[in-house]
This record gives sequence, structure tokens and C-alpha cells, in this order.
Amino acid sequence: MNLVDFLINWIANAPVTAVPYALAALGLIVAERSGVLNLTAEGLMLVGALAGAGTSLLFVGHPAVALLAAMVAASVVSLLFAVLVVVLRINQVIAGLSVVFFCQGLTGLIGTLAKWQNKQLSGLVPLKIWPLSEIPVIGRIFFMQDPVVYLTILIFIAVNFLLFRTMLGLRIRAVGENPAAADAAGVSVALHRILAIVAGSSLIGLAGGYISVVSVKLWVTGMTGGRGWIAVALVVFARWAPWPALAGALLFGCIEALIPHVAAAGIRVPQYLMLMLPYLATIAVMIWVGAKDHRGSQEPGALGQPHVREERR
Amino acid sequence: MISPAPSASRGLGRVTLDVRQDLSPWKQAAFVGASLIFGLAISIVILAVAGIPPLTLASELAGVLTAENLSGVLVQAAPLILVGLGASLAFRIGFWNLGIEGQMIFGGIFAAAISIYDIGPQATRLVLMGSAAALGGALWVLLVAFLKTRFRVNEIIATLLLNYVAMYFLFHLLYGAWQDAKTAFPQSTPFRPFERLGDIGYGVNSGLLIAIAGVLAAGWLIHLSRIGFYTRFISANPRMAKIVGVPVQTATIWIIAASGACSGLAGFVNVASQEGRLTQSYANGYVFSGVLIAFLSRNDPIVIAIVGFLIAVLFITGQTLQVFYQIPFTMVQMIEAIIVMAVASSEFLIRHRIRWLR
Repeated sequence: MNLVDFLINWIANAPVTAVPYALAALGLIVAERSGVLNLTAEGLMLVGALAGAGTSLLFVGHPAVALLAAMVAASVVSLLFAVLVVVLRINQVIAGLSVVFFCQGLTGLIGTLAKWQNKQLSGLVPLKIWPLSEIPVIGRIFFMQDPVVYLTILIFIAVNFLLFRTMLGLRIRAVGENPAAADAAGVSVALHRILAIVAGSSLIGLAGGYISVVSVKLWVTGMTGGRGWIAVALVVFARWAPWPALAGALLFGCIEALIPHVAAAGIRVPQYLMLMLPYLATIAVMIWVGAKDHRGSQEPGALGQPHVREERR
Repeated sequence: MISPAPSASRGLGRVTLDVRQDLSPWKQAAFVGASLIFGLAISIVILAVAGIPPLTLASELAGVLTAENLSGVLVQAAPLILVGLGASLAFRIGFWNLGIEGQMIFGGIFAAAISIYDIGPQATRLVLMGSAAALGGALWVLLVAFLKTRFRVNEIIATLLLNYVAMYFLFHLLYGAWQDAKTAFPQSTPFRPFERLGDIGYGVNSGLLIAIAGVLAAGWLIHLSRIGFYTRFISANPRMAKIVGVPVQTATIWIIAASGACSGLAGFVNVASQEGRLTQSYANGYVFSGVLIAFLSRNDPIVIAIVGFLIAVLFITGQTLQVFYQIPFTMVQMIEAIIVMAVASSEFLIRHRIRWLR
């Protein structure tokens, strides 16, 4: 296999591996913009992945239905997190970790008892945008992806508009920046935080559903393999802004897509050392973020702080 | 001052929160106990839905606590107590050590290296393996401590991600250089008898001695030693500590290293007592167990020993349910998470009074 083929195959596969990172990071950004430190991605992605796989196995329908089920399931489970951090105001790190390990346990339990393990799913047919798909090289990379890849870009545009151009987005950001001031101005802190968590979690669920239904095409216990944690790091890297998160997701998509292609190209690299690559790359990115200065970061001012109106500070 | 006009009664009225000034310890304990029972009740309901009726569960639990099975619980308690100590030491300094599994893996790998390369005389082999394991765990967490202090890398994500790196390194060894040539399974060659933690009588495994020594050492470290005094100072007010000349950096590094060493020892105890060789999964499920034990015991070493024993009962019950009822072991993790959520929620009731205004 020559180098050009290798590069085209690799880059053409990167969007599929990038989509879960992009959607999960975007969902986390929505929630964190409301001031809630959200570590739940790894767990909610598993919930989405299981719900998507289960729906396609139980009701042989269009994969879109499975993806919708993934979004709904993750949103429902995220209500638990919302109640814990917004209503009961428990430590957001403890709550996030508990939800992740709860979801890991629950999805493992349901997936095994329902016997959904390792059952082949039908997947999603790539969309050929004819005649652009016939262009050499560029057609393969940009115009022959599955529909969710294009949908992801639309979702980014929509969420960006919602967060920065609408009243609702302004309220969500106000609640995250200064909840006491927002509260005094008559904006319900609890309502907007819960809304941001649930809405963001639907995107995280879609990210998980995409992995099981479209990308891997089966359910395996714990199949997200730390992608949720990488998404959490991606949010810090993107400084809580959507478009840089998409760029970061593409970077991680390229890194992850490299792993199978190196083996397929017959390059002899120890496979388990190769599998460390995404995690080591994430740590490298976090070092890079930490080493540069923090001006211009859009980190929400009240990130991680519960809001209690009656409490004097 | 003008008092606000009383709001008109609207149907059901509304809920308001008052911040409680203080609550008697007995009432606090009652709230924690009630929420613990609530969490366990939810777990029992979920297990019932999964096909384990409460009566079956009760009989399995009673089976675990019989004399002949108790030694199994004690074997399991040793690594759990050690990871509880590991998590709690780091918590005391505000460092979220979620890399317990990675540290256990490197503890196991360092200990196994002593065995595989046949280092040192037979008489002191176990001591050498234990020391190597503690060193391996400490080095693996100090990597993150360095990244945090030097580059402000978030330790929650860094420690979690390094668990995956450690796991793949373990796989690299077990599917490669360290694979047992006889079985061709992803395992190392079995340790020799003098490299294993055996019974010390009454069915008690010597791994438990390491855990008890860990409890005593941690108690000394945080209550009696100079580092422990600094730690209390730093966690109360880090800026003040720095101003009055407490060696914040040094104390932090030592506590974090001790935390990693505890996890490394837990890895050693698992490979040298339960498994008797390096396996793929000897560190599975310990991250959240460590967090849970440290959280429930409020970082107190003696309480950690008690809670560690109770979680060992949960572990062994989970293993029984896995073997006889095909309930996956992840169920244990789910119950742990429910317990943490319930107990953490009780803090809300302790700190706030909910009032129903009409």
C-alpha cells in the first residue's frame, strides 16, 4: 500500500472517530456553560450506546430511531445528575463520578442480562453527495460520510446560535457566570441549569449511540473506553467554546483513526502500545493547555459552585 | 427595615430552604444512616428486577458470612483497605487520586518483575516485592503530581486516563514478553511458593497484615507525623500555610506518594495472594471502591478498615452472584455508586432545613 492511499484512507475515516468526541464535548460545554462541572460523559455515552444498540436489536427499524433512543435515554439518566447537583447541591465531582460508575454498572448489568453483547447491528449507509462524491480524493473525504457526520456540523451551528444569539443562551451563560446576579434579575438558576444538563446530555447520548449503532456496530460492556474522559479534557482544551471543541475532536478523531490503519498498512508497531495513543495525546494536550497563559478562556465564572440563595458568602 | 409583604397563598404553597447553623451529631448520624438504608433499598430493588429476590440475596449474604467463607472476605478486604487508604490520603490534600487501578497495575508489574528476573535472596523476596510494588504505585501517581504542580494539569482526568495507559502496558507485557509459555494465556508464569502471601493461621491471609500495617502507618502519618500536621494546615488554608512557611510542595508530594504506594501495595497483595501471578484483571473495579471507602469513612484510617471489610463482603457476594446467577460483576460498582449518591445527598439534609410555606 502506498503512502497516498494510506493517507486518504486514514483521513477519510477520521470524521467517524471524531463525531463522538465532538458531540460529547459540545454536550459538556452546554452543561458547563450553566456553571455545572460535568464529569458524567463517560457514563452517559455508555447509556446512549446501550440504548441505541438495544433499540436496534429489539425493533429492527431505521438507525435514526436507535440514535433518538440513545439521546432520550441519556437525557433521562442525566436527570439523576441534575437532581444531585442542582437540587441537592452535593459536590459536583462526587456526583459526576458516582453517575459515571453507576452508568457503567447499570449498562453492564442490562447489556448482559438482555444478551445484547456482541450482536451485529445493521449500521448506517454512507451518504453519497453526488456529483461531489466523484471528485478524486476530496470526494472520498468530504462527500461520502454517513449522515450523522453532516448532522454534527448542523448541530454545532444550531447550538452555537442557541448559546450566543438567543435569550435562552444568554440566560444559561448568565447562570453559569454569576448565579447570584442572574437570580436577582429573575432568572431561575435551578431551571436553567437542569435544562442545560438535560439538553447537553442528549448530545452526549447521541455520541454514545453513534459509537455502538454507526461506528462499531455492536454493544460491548464498557465500549466507550475512556472517550468520555477525553471529551472532558477536550472542553478544557477548547476553553468552553464550541468551534475549538470541533477542531479538537477532529484532531482526536485523526489520532484514533490512525490505530487500525497503521496495523492494516502492515507497519509493525506493538498493538497495545499503539492503543495508548489517544490517552497519551490527551495528556500531552492538557500539558500544552496548562503551559500557555489563560487569558481569553471562556471558563464559566461559577463552574462547580452550587447556588444556594439563602447562603451568605 | 421594611419586612416584605407576605406572599399570597398559591395552591400548594412553596418550598424554601433555610441554612442550618448546626445539628447534633446524633441527628447527623441518623440522616446518614437513613440515606444509607435508602440507597441499599434501591439496590435491593434493582437486584430483584435483575432476577435476585431479596430472600435469595439474604441467604447468599449469610453464606458469605459463615466461618469458612470469612477467610475469603478477609483476603478481599486487604486490597480494599489499602485502596481506601490510598484514596483518603490524597483526599486529605485535595488531590483526587482516581488512578488507583493504574497504580495497582504498576505495583503488580514491579512486584512481578522481582519474581520474573529472580532478584534477591529467597528469604527477603516478599519484602523486596512489596517494596517494589509500593515504589511502582508511588512513581505512577507522582507523574500526575508533577504534571499538576508544573503544568496545572487536572489530576482527575490525568489519573483516569493513565489507568487506560497502565492497562494497555499490562496487556503489552502479558501478550508479549511476560506471557506464560506453558499455558499461552495472557498471564505471567506463576510465582514460586516463597513469592506468595500465604496463610498465617486461622485462615487469615498475610495480605491482611500488610493492610493493618498500612492502617497503622497512615494513622501515624496523618495524626502524629510532621507531614500530617502540615497536611491539616494546608487543607485548612493553603495560602496561609505557604505564608507562614509550611513546606507545602514537599508535604503534598509525600502524601501523594504515600497514596500511590498504598495502591501499589494493593496491587501486590492481589497478585501475590489471590492470583499468584500477574493477570489481566487483578485491578478491575478498585477506583470507585477506593473513593467510596474514603468517602464513607471520612478519611479516618480506623473507619477505613471497617468500611473496607464491609465492601469486601459486597465484593464476595458480587462474585457469588456472578458465578451462580450470571449477574455481571459491574453490579458491585453500581451499588457502590448508589450508596455514595445516597450518603452524599444526606449532607444536603444536614445542612439545610426544607420548609413548606403556605
